[in-house]
Amino acid sequence: MKYLITDDSRMARKMMIKSIIEIIGDTDEIIEATNGEEALKMYKEYKPNICFMDLTMPVMDGFTATSKICEHDKDAKIIIVSADIQDGSMKKASDNGAIGFIKKPINSENLKTMLEKLNLI
Amino acid sequence: MMNNLSLNEDEKDCLQELMNISYGSATAAIAEIIEKFATLNIPKIQAVTLDEFKDYFKNKLEHSHTHYVTNQLINGTLNGETMFIIDEESTHNLGKEFLFEEDDSNKNEICEDDLKDVILEISNIITSTTLSKFAELIDASITFSPPCIKVLHSIEEFNDSYIDEYNHIIIISTDIKFVDQNIKGELLILSKDESIVYMKEALNRVLDEL
Repeated sequence: MKYLITDDSRMARKMMIKSIIEIIGDTDEIIEATNGEEALKMYKEYKPNICFMDLTMPVMDGFTATSKICEHDKDAKIIIVSADIQDGSMKKASDNGAIGFIKKPINSENLKTMLEKLNLI
Repeated sequence: MMNNLSLNEDEKDCLQELMNISYGSATAAIAEIIEKFATLNIPKIQAVTLDEFKDYFKNKLEHSHTHYVTNQLINGTLNGETMFIIDEESTHNLGKEFLFEEDDSNKNEICEDDLKDVILEISNIITSTTLSKFAELIDASITFSPPCIKVLHSIEEFNDSYIDEYNHIIIISTDIKFVDQNIKGELLILSKDESIVYMKEALNRVLDEL
């Protein structure tokens, strides 16, 4: 399984990687993007199985990146990871194609719950 | 204009309660990241005018020379900007918590970029979680810009011209206590006048329902 992690914060990416490794193990391929535009490019190049996407980022935000990735691949599996917990933001992300929403900070427990809920593990 | 937009005592009290609830969500998020937190104090909340804020900020910088300041624009029903201010000592304490393992012997060697990254992410979580919850409580809808960070060594470096468009500022002072060290941070919400009008109406709706 390939995972694409998109967040402008190194710390947030590290926390996500740690959580993934705790659940899945360290043999999986994890690639990182620092904004939505990079995520879109990496998605097209690496075809990850699951994407984790922050919402508030420079260059291209997570809403736009989610929409563009889903335009490119309607089966893309994008899970939003954000501290913006407004219903409107969750709805917009979902309307743009996201399949799940994890409230920051991510940890192995809430990641596992989400992946199980979506039948991804 | 200013007097009409100032909050009365009931409105301030209501705002304090809603901010306490909102900050509670952020507190939970931070406590989750730093598993070994001992306590997180209830935030002290003040609604001040621009002039009062400038005096407050000047006084703050005079007492401690270096501060890390992150800014994030907010748009939507509420328009304005948030600032998260943390002093140098607290910044380094926070950096040690996030950048090193407990048995790491190089705790004094902190890379400035890594430190800024930690502050950006922590302030982003505190700001977004608090404001999201607050927006929900007053039926508002907001969007966030990506945060940016700067290091201020003196009041002279603080370019206060950019805040002249804000007449009302809400200061949420926080004091996060670890087992063996304190981290003091302040979240400031700088609101444009039209947002204060909306906020006052929303606060009065809440008060009317009591």
